[in-house]
Amino acid sequence: MALRELPLRTASAFCSHVRPVAQLVRPSFRRNSSSEALYGIEPWSPFSVPPPSEELSKTFDPVARSKLRRRGKRELPPSRYQYRPPKYYRGRLHPHQPPPVSDPSSRLFQPGPFSLPRLEQTYQSTIAPDVLTLTYQHYPPGYRAPKLDQRLREWTGESPYFRNRPLRPPRGRGDHLRLLTPPRTFRNVPKITKVTIHSMVPEAQENSAHLHVAGMIVQAISNIRATTHKARHNVVGWGLREGKYVSVTANMEREDAHHFLAKLVDVVLPRIKEWKGVPASSGDGAGNMTFGLTPDQVALFPEVEVNYDAYPPKMIPGCHITIQTDATNNKDARLLLQAIGLPFFGKLND
Amino acid sequence: MTRRNPRTTAKSQALQLPTHQPKPQLTPPTSLKMNLSSIRPAFRPVTSRIAQLSNNALQRSFAPTTRRTIRPTPATTTTTRSPFSTTARLLKRNRSAKNATDPRITAIRYHLTHPLTPRPLHFSRTRALRHWTIHRAWLLFLRKRRRAEELELERQYNSMRAACEHLRLLDNNGNRVSEAEAGGQGPDAGRLGVRGREVGRLYRAAMLKRGVWGSVPVEYARVQTDFPGREGWNHAWTRS
Repeated sequence: MALRELPLRTASAFCSHVRPVAQLVRPSFRRNSSSEALYGIEPWSPFSVPPPSEELSKTFDPVARSKLRRRGKRELPPSRYQYRPPKYYRGRLHPHQPPPVSDPSSRLFQPGPFSLPRLEQTYQSTIAPDVLTLTYQHYPPGYRAPKLDQRLREWTGESPYFRNRPLRPPRGRGDHLRLLTPPRTFRNVPKITKVTIHSMVPEAQENSAHLHVAGMIVQAISNIRATTHKARHNVVGWGLREGKYVSVTANMEREDAHHFLAKLVDVVLPRIKEWKGVPASSGDGAGNMTFGLTPDQVALFPEVEVNYDAYPPKMIPGCHITIQTDATNNKDARLLLQAIGLPFFGKLND
Repeated sequence: MTRRNPRTTAKSQALQLPTHQPKPQLTPPTSLKMNLSSIRPAFRPVTSRIAQLSNNALQRSFAPTTRRTIRPTPATTTTTRSPFSTTARLLKRNRSAKNATDPRITAIRYHLTHPLTPRPLHFSRTRALRHWTIHRAWLLFLRKRRRAEELELERQYNSMRAACEHLRLLDNNGNRVSEAEAGGQGPDAGRLGVRGREVGRLYRAAMLKRGVWGSVPVEYARVQTDFPGREGWNHAWTRS
């Protein structure tokens, strides 16, 4: 076998030696359009850096420099040194400015998303394009929307007190104007910005254990440290006394919010008996929707359910869940939440 | 406290313990003294609470191997369970039962006030630089992904817009008409042009948005999975 292969091998070895020579020779015969262009280009360029001066290259001694650095006069702080941002923001003009929030050394830094929630993936790939398509309103090219003038009325009359007076408040009840809805584009597709869990336990005024259990459950459900709140007023009907701790909230954003919503829609809500859905009368006209869960519904959350025995069953609280969206009206917010999987029932609040 | 010798197997213990006192080198002798009721003098009462506790703990820790019930002798029970006067103890027991906090609440309070927060990261220079580099790369990745999603949405929007504009200028016969003949100028999509209803019929139907604002079908709202079910929706389900 070896003998039979020998001539082949010698031939291939010979060829491999020969080949580079052939390649060296070849370019002289080939002519590309770009190869001639190189001759026409000026060798000088504004970006070219002149070589270092004679004096600099003679005195350059990296070893000595590093030794010098090591001995006494240090250019760099010791390796253990760690930059600490200022504790307080002292204004734009202060020389010591805090680093951006995305910097790990910042005090406000939150380590990035550790997972890509399925709900977020579904939103990006399916829900956002569908909502965009459903709510798209076409305007022919060249159409310019008429400019909106002042929505608040002025004070008209002869009274001298009307001069320089602030504009009149909007008509009807309510002290604020409703949000304007801009035409739908690919930049303002409504999305979920925040989810808030709020649990009020008035029994906590007598026994703080209620508040602690509520805080623990809210924390377990939401993955966020719960915040406690005091009652701001005396409300006799609700048995509230001013200044007493009565409620617990948790605000979830981005990753946590998506995980929570997916859990709610896929695990908790389908297991509630006789659940009709979110009341369609909810919604504040600015894209936020709220609904409530009773204590036995809260107990259906998987985090509570796995160690149900760890909580006194009578102290498990109910809660309100507010889903905040980018939408500027109730219709858009409801469409988004329906697409996510929250059914609505009853009279619509538009 | 009760460290077991790894060489002692469960079998050997099960063989030895019920019969005799095990060899002193197998387990620490101090803890063994509590466990052995067989050699305990019958009239000696359990004096200290600590001894009782450690006895229980020891039994619990040994539970799978030594499953035997220690029956106290009658003499022991009389000494521990019935003191001369019952009133004081009963009173005390009742008061403690009223004021006692649920151990679960105690545990919840403990864990709420003892957050397991790790100390802040403290890196040397090179390690911090490595960390920083990786962090910048991660931010770059996130930004690119966000940008790609945005561009994809923009592409869909542009093509939708082009399609709507095409439909607006479309005749009933499928011919393209001029801007002067077509309708739909301005914000009102239903506005008719010179040629009336026969131009841009599909466009007007699309802009009516009929059925958009009612409700989204429940079958639509399913979160994407890697392995979705063979049949997506169980239509045969009834409330039992």
